[in-house]
Parts: sequence; structure tokens; C-alpha cells
Amino acid sequence: MAITAPDRTGTVTLTIDGREVTAAEGSTIWEAAKAAGIDIPVLCHDERYDPVGVCRMCVVDVGAPAFAASCVRACENGMEVKTSTAELERSRAVLTEMLLSDQPDREQDAKQAKTGDNELLALADRFGLGQGGTDGGTDEDGLPCASGRGNDSSSPVIAVDHDACILCDRCVRACDDIQGNDVIGRSGKGYATRIAFDLNDPMGESSCVSCGECVAACPTGALTNKPIRNIPIRPRTELDAVDTVCPYCGVGCALTYYVDREHNAISFAEGREQPGSHGRLCVKGRYGWDYAASPQRLTKPLIRREGSYPKGALSDDVRGEMAGDAPKERRRRRKPGGLVDYAEVMPHFREATWEEALDLVARRLTGIHAAGGPAAIAGFGSAKCSNEEAYLFQKLIRTGFHTNNVDHCTRLCHASSVAALFEGIGSGAVSTTYGDVINADVAIVTGSNSTANHPVASTFFKQARRRGTTIIYIDPRADKMADHADIYCQLKPGTDVAFYNGVMHEIIRLDLVDHDYIAGRTSNYEALAQTVRDYPPERAGQITGVPADVIRRVARVWGEAGAGVIFWGMGISQHTTGTDNARCLIALCAITGNIGRPGSGLHPLRGQNNVQGASDMGLIPMFYPDYAKADDPAVRARFERAWGTGDLDPKRGLTVTEIIGSALKGGVRGMYMLGENPFLSDPNINKVRKALAALEFLVVQDIFLTETAEFADVILPASSYLEKDGTYTNTDRRVQLGHKVLDSPGEARLDWQVVQDIANRIGLGWDYASPREIFDEMVSVIPSYANLTYDNLGLSGKLYPNPDPEHSDGTVVMFGDRFNTNDGLAHLVPAEWLPARELPSEEYPFVLNTGRMLEHWHTGSMTRRSYALDAIAPKALVFVHPDDAADLGLADGDLARVTSRRGSIELEVTVSHREARGNCFIPFHFREAAANLLTIDEIDPFGKIPEFKFCAVRIEAAHA
Amino acid sequence: MPEVAPRVPGVEARAGKFPGPSLIPALHAIQERVGWLPREELVALSREVHRPLYEIEGLISFYPHFRTTAPVRVTLRVCHDLSCWLRGAEEGLAAIRDRYGPDADCEVIEGSCIGRCDAAPAAVVNDAPATLAGVDALVAAARDGGIPPAAATGPQRWPNDPYASAREHYGVLRDVLSGALDAGQVTTALADSGLRGMGGAGFPAGRKWELVAAQAATPKYAICNADESEPGTFKDRQILAGQPHLVLEGMLLGMLATGAEEGWVFIRHEYGPEEAAVRAEIARLRAAGLAGQDVLGTGRRLSVEVFTSPGGYILGEESALIECMEGHRGEPRNKPPFPGVYGLHGQPTLMNSVETFAHVPVIARRGAAWWTAQGAGEHAGLKFFAVSGHVERPGVYCVPMGTTARALLDLAGGVSGGRALGAIQPGGASSNFLGPDQLDVPLDFGSLREAGSMLGSGALVVLAEGTDLLAAATNVLRFFRDESCGKCVPCRVGSTKAHRILADHLAAGGGTGDVPERISELEQVMRRTSICGLGQVALGPVASVLRLSGGRDKG
Repeated sequence: MAITAPDRTGTVTLTIDGREVTAAEGSTIWEAAKAAGIDIPVLCHDERYDPVGVCRMCVVDVGAPAFAASCVRACENGMEVKTSTAELERSRAVLTEMLLSDQPDREQDAKQAKTGDNELLALADRFGLGQGGTDGGTDEDGLPCASGRGNDSSSPVIAVDHDACILCDRCVRACDDIQGNDVIGRSGKGYATRIAFDLNDPMGESSCVSCGECVAACPTGALTNKPIRNIPIRPRTELDAVDTVCPYCGVGCALTYYVDREHNAISFAEGREQPGSHGRLCVKGRYGWDYAASPQRLTKPLIRREGSYPKGALSDDVRGEMAGDAPKERRRRRKPGGLVDYAEVMPHFREATWEEALDLVARRLTGIHAAGGPAAIAGFGSAKCSNEEAYLFQKLIRTGFHTNNVDHCTRLCHASSVAALFEGIGSGAVSTTYGDVINADVAIVTGSNSTANHPVASTFFKQARRRGTTIIYIDPRADKMADHADIYCQLKPGTDVAFYNGVMHEIIRLDLVDHDYIAGRTSNYEALAQTVRDYPPERAGQITGVPADVIRRVARVWGEAGAGVIFWGMGISQHTTGTDNARCLIALCAITGNIGRPGSGLHPLRGQNNVQGASDMGLIPMFYPDYAKADDPAVRARFERAWGTGDLDPKRGLTVTEIIGSALKGGVRGMYMLGENPFLSDPNINKVRKALAALEFLVVQDIFLTETAEFADVILPASSYLEKDGTYTNTDRRVQLGHKVLDSPGEARLDWQVVQDIANRIGLGWDYASPREIFDEMVSVIPSYANLTYDNLGLSGKLYPNPDPEHSDGTVVMFGDRFNTNDGLAHLVPAEWLPARELPSEEYPFVLNTGRMLEHWHTGSMTRRSYALDAIAPKALVFVHPDDAADLGLADGDLARVTSRRGSIELEVTVSHREARGNCFIPFHFREAAANLLTIDEIDPFGKIPEFKFCAVRIEAAHA
Repeated sequence: MPEVAPRVPGVEARAGKFPGPSLIPALHAIQERVGWLPREELVALSREVHRPLYEIEGLISFYPHFRTTAPVRVTLRVCHDLSCWLRGAEEGLAAIRDRYGPDADCEVIEGSCIGRCDAAPAAVVNDAPATLAGVDALVAAARDGGIPPAAATGPQRWPNDPYASAREHYGVLRDVLSGALDAGQVTTALADSGLRGMGGAGFPAGRKWELVAAQAATPKYAICNADESEPGTFKDRQILAGQPHLVLEGMLLGMLATGAEEGWVFIRHEYGPEEAAVRAEIARLRAAGLAGQDVLGTGRRLSVEVFTSPGGYILGEESALIECMEGHRGEPRNKPPFPGVYGLHGQPTLMNSVETFAHVPVIARRGAAWWTAQGAGEHAGLKFFAVSGHVERPGVYCVPMGTTARALLDLAGGVSGGRALGAIQPGGASSNFLGPDQLDVPLDFGSLREAGSMLGSGALVVLAEGTDLLAAATNVLRFFRDESCGKCVPCRVGSTKAHRILADHLAAGGGTGDVPERISELEQVMRRTSICGLGQVALGPVASVLRLSGGRDKG
């Protein structure tokens, strides 16, 4: 989507090739001609971008001495335009020939050899031009050949051939205007001009984030995808195109996989138009899909050998011998990097038939249930699975074992946001889409490293800013969003409540609140005002470290904005005060009337591709599907009727963190783990290790041997995302169809079938024939999804709620009139600032923050098996402020030892100006230096979410 | 917050142009401090100002003024373009290379026209203009701790100056400020005088002023284009040195007439001495209260500043100049919209060249009728010409418009060494060559166009008989190739391919095939499809030589 003109109402009338044409005022000749069915050839122009008019292929005769580039020249009344005179055609042919003379041979052209759609060569064919010649010589048409600019193969995923570049500036616009990554520009002058990355650096050493938007933009062989795992890239017509959705984050970008059926593998991926993502992708979506082809996929059911009991971790890493409590001589890693060492773990399991494995699972779980009652069973589902799978999984646990002990990783991400949202506005979903930012006067992005965690959503934030939206970024880490912010507040970790109370104090003082909205749409304002009275900007500044004047400026900008929207991530939710943090954001929006209109609202950016859907499906202990309260007898009765069962659990179940605690104490004794890897994802690994080992029976269903699977009695080989059909609900509430791309390897089975097999073995008598059938049942118990069907979801999915999916994309802005609370009002909940639980001390002077990197996904089981992602980001790192690094005597690349009260890890230092002094950041993807060995398992009292974003650590040089 | 205007119809994409203040001053500051632009400094700048590295790379690789390697003590820049080439630049350059090439203290650079064609072959030692003969002394001085700054030639009286003495300077401006004269009357006088832009394109000056005055958008800007950089062209340099008061007064009148409060003199960085003269004159203006926040107590703000070009002929193109001032690569814009409507920062901008502005006071003071009467015959007004090449007295001449080429050549002492005439380029490097038989053509817009050339930048380059015209024209083409910004395909690729074809042809002593046909085809395509004048005219001169002679011809 280009940055386009505001709507214009006038029209102009002109003549194009003798035909009278009426066009909207401000439209270009090229657009008007296209609308009239007249095709004018282009190279530099693409409707996705604003025009530059540099290739001159689209020139037309408007009666002036020089021709005009129709892609950029605006239509004028009375203009007489000729688009295809003999001279124009000759000019185009000569221009093509000029460019062609510098191109590599057709046979060696990277684009022609791969996707076969070199647009310059297509023009050459159209004009009947010969092939370019060889360097130093002349071509068939007598032009000297070759620019000699050379090529650049430094990027693991993108091949750069500067000789094939025609300087159309499409990649420049793709990188800037579309993705906002700002890496590519022109370097040099005249004929020596070339596209350059950063300061004319090799692409692989530049700040390029490998989103591949430039490749999608390039018309020639200058920028092409490199083959991944040696699967050749071939013309689209020779490949099978499967339209589906990206499996990674909650942004849910639409894409197409081009599948090579001969190799039974994906050849390449491309973004696909969809009202949210607009065809954009990030590095994970475009290049990170080959994990499914890993030879490490589980292909047979596995049963733990007799000799491998009593249970415990099987590999040194997971046993914790890296953690510093092992004898020194054993601490050394045998090899760098880290996925579960199959050679070490596999011998402890034997292959089994599905029959044997499933029988064993059913027998053991029913046995534990019979002996220990419902409280002895728990299930972890996954936000990576489809809605259908999440729905079936919770239904199995609830109806098969009569317990609400079912949860998933939402507990670790937005549980506190959801708690606050339910309490405040009666709904946990976003009130508006990420794309609605374009309508906002001001957007607050907070606690969200969105360029890494929601890269495509961040492109819309960046683009909105260029359209005039003021971006306020509030985060302890000055990550890339800070470069794109009008106001950046580097607050101290864990001081969010004080910050927002300070902002609200000032908004109220300046009387920038929306009195009508407060009176008509909210309750409890007086209590809120009372609380924030104690947070004048000076005090808030003292607590947060953000200067009082900046807090005042934020208050004024937000308060005076016509429409303001807040996007937040784990930096808000993953605190012991996570719910309070989110309450403040809700209050900030509500007192200024900023919920329910375009460009305003609340948007917790969802992490997993289906965390919204899994929550909607009731994969949470306190809610049945569609957030029906688990402890409400009427709700229970409704689901007992719907599911034909009589004894659903009348109480809320335990959450992820509580289940781990319960297992330690012998409460929960049998667990079914579908696609979750709590060993790496949950806080305080040492505690998780003990809990998992203490379980009487654990069945793990996954696509790889995970750290958690080392504690399993039975491991069931599952299907990857790419191997199944199902629906996924993204952060915008967009329900999209994912389609099967590849066959599952070996005996791996579809997850919904495995769940059904277990259900039937414990006597539930299920008979679903397809995900479609599950979907229809699901919709019947989830009013929010009403009217949606597999047939009307279409290629781009639909937003819910959606009264008319046949004709409408769905509801973008919710709560225009009332909220989902009982009284329809937003309930303002004041919050007092509380310090984090574990403050830095002399012994542990640094605050540790954890999170994700752009290239990696959670516990790395997918991304670390992706060739591209692993090549770009192969190792664990701790990010440290330059002055802190200097004080510690650490330089870039040095090995450091980071220790908390719970554990210790060793990893490489990256000196980073993006950290604040006294803080450090460790991504949690790397088991060989697992950040969650250090984190604290203190939880938020409402959302039960752990404090991943704050614990005290010590950093020192480690000597390898 | 960076202001990004919504798309204006016909305005091209930013494509790498960042909103926000220009980084060029910050880059100048680093170069001033460190002497060049080390990578760490650039990375730090990018981080500090939250602007991408590639934007910095785009600028420093585009503008020749910026250095990415540490400088040596003495930089010797020698011009190799037409006027210098005609006077032995190739041999002179070879000698300089022999002398200073091996010297570790010295860097010899061969480059484009430096606007000192009257001293051809011209050179620059560090920042000081020199003749080849004077190079040794300057190099010695540079080694010795520095070259004292050179001064411009000083005030010169020409017939376009209405003021008898410095005391009378700015009389018209004072009249307008006091209300004795209406600014609109100046515009009317300009329109009546028929004065056309003297920078090359010849757009009627009065109409331009009216157009900018009629724009509703504010603020508006005025720019004096003092970036003449075309081989053979140096008249503006002499005007800046000789009558800076007229140039500034003309621009200030333009500002008053169009409603602009901010005026800029955009001057090429090779004109150091002349820039000093302009700055001194601006200081006088301010001291006299004629420029500043509140001129002569009228409450009007008239700000005048100098913008030193970071280099490149292309910046003389009005929209490239604006791009440069905005902090972007100096690449011409697709037009329309023209600067009068959508200029600096997207605002209406009055841009005239040095000579155009310099003629304004006399027209305003003595009237359009007086002005038109100054021309020869039916031609109107006065015209400055720079005469160079094979001529006895190269220099700047102010003559009646419509003076014949023959008369101007005589004024300059005729062809040097008493030789016969081979050809002339009557309007700078981009004008087509004319043969000796066309010497009686009146030097005027219409007459020269009819003769198949143009008045262009007001530079008469004289080529004596015996000059290899095709080689001369190829030399001109090399200039355009070197100075092409590279933005559009026809100019970037066409100028390079054409130059290689001709260079191969010359090297082979002719006979390399259908050169005239190929050049003619490229010429037509470049003329009609290039974005700006540079590409449109780049092959004109060489094509004119091929037409004159049908190929290789010894004049």
C-alpha cells in the first residue's frame, strides 16, 4: 500500500489515444489509461508504490517537446495524450535496449533462472530485442555492454546482482515506504550509481532485516531469493500455489507457498493481499518455513524405556549441568548451538505403534483420573494449533477428565491484559485493528518491541507516522521503534503504572478529558482521578526516570489528539503488576474518549499466530469458549447441554504456572501437553524441571523432541502447521483459513485426529470427519463467531464479529455505543504503583529483561531448525549498554556469565546503545543459555502471568 | 513531528528522501572538524538524528565535496572540459601528473569545469583557483602552511547598473520599501521589458514573478541560482564579483513582488572568492537595515542567506537545486509541478539566475522602454556573454542583445593566434555547434534557435580551424556523462553508451560503423524521454557536429 493522496472529489476530462476519458482529480495519466483499458508499459512503476518516473518506459506524448512519464504526470483537463505513437514505441525499445545491454545473459539471469518473470526481458521480447552482449564488447544492437558493478552474496537469503539492477528504485520504496526498514538507497552518481545497503555495505553485514520486500519488488534479477535447503526456485506455473497464513506471530500475514511437488517441499513464499497485512511479510514468514522439513521431525510414536525411569531430564543441558551446578569439567558444551540432542535422548525411548501409544495414554490418564480425581489431570494446549484443535483439546480435558485444568501459553503473554480488559470493557480482544493506526492522530506503542515481535504490524505504525500520526514509544529498551517515534520515553523497567498515572494526572489537570464520554460511557472515574492526583509529573518522573516535561508533553499530545490508539505487548503484561499496567492503558483511553471510533482504541498485540483463537476457544481454565465464565452455573449448564455431558467441573481450573506448582506438590499427576514446551518458556526452569520430573504420567504431542519431551512417558508425533487445514484467529480478530501445504512425514498424524483418538479411547465417542465439521460446532457455541463458515471466510479471512460475512470484512472498530460489560460502561480501575518483586542489589546489580528476537520464535524449536533464521541469528546473546560493558570489562563478542538467584548462564555479549544503563536483555530462545533459568516465577495476582521482564542479575566476564 | 504533505498530484515519491531537516550541514560540520567523513562519525550521526545510514551514503556519494578518505595535504584539481581542453588541458594535466602524481602529499584529480574558462586551462589547488602556470607556487604555499584566500576581481561597472555610485545602491528597493514604488510595478516593468531567464531556459521573467505572486500557499521562497557550471560559462561569476548589489537587489525585489520572506543565493562551492563578495554585500545589506527581521521598520522580514553547493553541475537544474537544499540527492524532479508552484519544501519558489536578477534594478529604474532600446536592431535589452576557447581576450562581455557572434568575437580580439574560425558553440556546452558560415547570426533566443542552436547559458566557445570537432563534441559529451545524476535511464545509460561509442570511434580513427545513425537515435530518445535538460541536450552538440560534417571532420 502506497502512501496515497487524500480522497479527492473532482474529476478531469482528457483525451487518451483519441478517446475521451474522465478521471479522478489527482490521478495520473497511467492510472487513467489503465482504467480505460490502455496498457502503458512500465518498469519502475508498481501500483504498490508512489511513482518516481525514472525508467521513462511509460512516457507519453502530451504535446510538449519532451515526453512525460505517465506514471507520475497528473491528468489535466483538456490534455491530449498519445500513448503509443511510433516514436514512443521506438523510444521504449531504445530504452529497453540501453538497459538490456548491461544485463547478464538471459541464461544466467537470476530472476529468469528462478521465477522466470524478469520484467525487463519481457519488454525485450515485446520489442523483439536481442540478448545483451558480453563485458567490454557490444551487444547485437551495437551498444557497449556491462556495467561491471558486481554481485553480493553476503545475505543468507537474498542474492544481489548489481549488474542486473536497472535502478528503478522499487526496492528503495519497498524498504522505506512499505516496510519502514530504511536500509536501501542509491549510492554514487551517474552511471556509477548503484543501490546500496547502509553505507554501501554488503547486504548481509548491513542493518537489513531480510524481510524480502525488496525481492518482491525487484523487476529484474538484481534481488532474488536464494534457494533454501537446495530446493530450486522455479517459475510459479511449475509449482503448486497454496494460499494460507503465516504460522508465526499474531499479525497473521496472508501468504502463498509455492510448492515443488517433485521435491515435496516449499520452493519459496510470497505475501498475499489481505486487508490487514497487505501482502507484507517479515523474515520469518518469507524465509522461515523449512523447519517442517527438518530431518529431526518425529515420525513414530515413542514410549519411554523401562530403564529410563525414574523420570528426569535426559540430556546434560536439560539436567541443568550447564547451569553451573555441575562439576566444572562437565560444564563445557559438547557442541555449540542448541536443540535437544537427539543422540543423547532418543535411546531412552522406543518406537511404538499408534495403537500401543494411544492405548497407553488413555489407560494411564484414566487411571490417574480414577485414583486422583479431576484435580490430578491437566492439559496444556497450544496457541500454535488451530481453533479446531484448541476447541477439541479443551473439550477433551473438560468432558473427558471433568476438570478445567486446561491452559496454554496465553498465560505467559497477555493473561494480565485479558484480565484487565475483561474487568474494564468486558472483552479480551482488540477494540480495533493494527491497520487502523492510519486513522489515528497519535499512537502509543508501549512495552512492545514491535519491529522484532510484530514486524508487519510495525510497518503500518511506521507508515502511519509518515502520514502524520504522532508515534509515542514508551519502553525501557530503545529498540528500533524508538527511531521511528516522535516522542520516546525510556522509562525504568516496572514503572509503567507510575508513568501512566502521571500522564493521566496531567491530562486531568489540563482538563483534556472527554467529559461526555466519561459521563456516558464509564464508571468509577472519581476513584481514578483520586488515585492519579498523587502522581504529579514530577513524582512520576522520579519513579520512572522519564523527565517530568516529557510526561507533560505526552499528556498534552495524547489529550489534544482527535483520535488516539494504544498498542502494547509483553512489556506491559509480563509483570507482577501486568494487570495494573493494562488497567492504566484502558483508563487512559477511556478518560479521553478514545475507544470506539476509527483511529482510537486498545490493541494488545497478540504473540502467537493463534493465541487469540485459542483463548476464544476456551483453552483457558477460567473460561469456556467465547469467554463464558467457568464458575458460572448457568454457563456450565449451557455447555453440559451443548456437549451432552453431565459433570463439568464447577470451579475454575489451574493456570499454567499454578499447574507447575501443583505438580511439585503432588496435586496434578497426569498431563497431556499438546505443542507446548514449558521447560524453556516458563519462568524458573529449575522449578519446572522438578515439576515435570514429579509427574506420574506425561504425554507430549509435538513435531520435535523438545526439552519438555525428555520428561515424557509417551511422545506422539504431530503434524506441523504446514500439514493441516484449520482456522487461525489473528491479533485483529481476523479468522483465516490455513491450508495444508505438505504431507506429514512418516506416521505423524493430524493433531485433531490424535485428540479424537484419545477421546474415543476414554469413551467420549467422537466422530468429527473434518476440521470444517469441528468449526461449525465451534461457531454454534461461540456467539462472537456467529455467521462465519469455511465457505465465507474466503482467501483473506474475516474479522469477527461479523454480521454479514458474505459482503463484509467484519467489524474493525468495536464498542461504538457500549462495552461488553454488564452495564455497558467501561469500568475504570485505579492502580497504585508497586515496585517489582526483585529489585537490583549490590550482589545482583542489573535488571534483566527477556523477550524475543526478530529471527526467532519462542523456544526456537521451529526457527532454530530454519536454515535462514539460524544462519542470520545463530547464537544466544546478552545485550548490555556500552558504559556498563566498559565498566564490566566486556567487549562485543566476549563471553559473559549472567547469574540470578535462581541460576546462571553463559553467553556472548552484544554492546548495545539500545539498552538503558543498569539493564540488560536476553532473548529466551536459546536452551544452551536459557534466559528462563534466571527469571523469577513471581506472578501477577489477577492474570497469573509471570514477571519475565524483571529480575535482578549479576553480569561478569566468563572465561571460555 | 515531521511534516509529510499528502501526495500532490504529479509529485513523485520520496524514494529515499527523508522528511526532516537536511543532513548536509551536519556532514559539512563533520568534514570541517575531522577533515573527512570517517565511518564511525557517520554511524554516530545516523544514531543521533534517527536517520538511516543509507540516506547519508546517498548524499556523501553524490556530492563531490564530501570525502570518505582522509585528505592529503594538497589536492590539485585540473579541469578537462571544452574551454580548457581547447587550450591544452590534456598536455598540462599530463605534465602535472608527472610532477605531482608520485608525490605522497599531493592528489591530482581531473574533473569538470570550474568556471574559470577565461584562465584556461584552469586548476584549483585545495580551494584556491589557479592557472596551470600558477600551480607550482600554490602547491608550495599549500605545503608551507596554507594558501592565503583569493579575492574576487572587485566591482565592475557595466551598462546594466543604474547606479552611478555605491551611495545610490538599492535605490529601487528603498523606493519599494518606502511605498514610493509598488512592487507590482516592478513585475509589470519586467513583463513589459520582455526579459527572459538568463540561466538557459529563457522563461519570461515577468511571467514567472506573476505566477509566484499569484500562489496562495505560504511561506514562499526566492532563490538566486548562482550555480552556473557548464563548460565555457562564467558570466555569473563575474557578475557576482562585479555587481553583487544588483543581484541581491533583484532578488529582494522579487521577494517583495512575490511575497517571499526568505531568499537564498545558491552558489557553487568553486566560487569561493565570489561567495565572499556576496557575503560581504549581504553584510552591507543587513548593516543598512535592508535585510533582516524588520527591514527599515516596515515590519517586513527579508532574510537573505547563502547556500554553498556541495558540488555538481546538475544542481544548476532548478529542481535538483531545490532537492539539494532540502537535503536530498540533487536529482531533478519530474515536472510539472514547477518550482513556482511547488518548489523548496513544496512551497511556491521564485528562482532566477544571477544575471536575470542583476537586470531587474535597471529595468525597474529606467523602465521597460529603456531596456528594450538597449538591444541591437529589433532585439531587446542587454546580455552578458562569457567568451572562451580559441580567442585572444577570453572574458565576460556585456553587449546589446542581438549582437552578432562575429561582433562579439571581434570584441574579444578574434580567434587566437590569428587563426581562422572552425566553429562556435554560442550558448555553452549544451548548445549545438555552428559553423563559420553562421557567424553573422544575432545572439538572441529566437535567432539562435532558428540557426539550429540556442542562447543557452550565454557562453561563446570559439574553436579555431583545425580543431577536431568530433573530438571536441565528444569532450562535451563526457562532461554531461560525468555530470549526469543517474536518476533516469536515458541520461544515465544513454550518455555513457554514446560516449563509449564515440570514444571507440575516435580511438579507432573513425570507421567503426554506423556511428551517426546510432548517435542520432540515442539523441532523439534522450532528448524526448530524459527528465531534465541535462539528458535532453547531452547528445545535441555531438549530433550537431555529425550533422555539420557527416562524421569526422577537421573543421
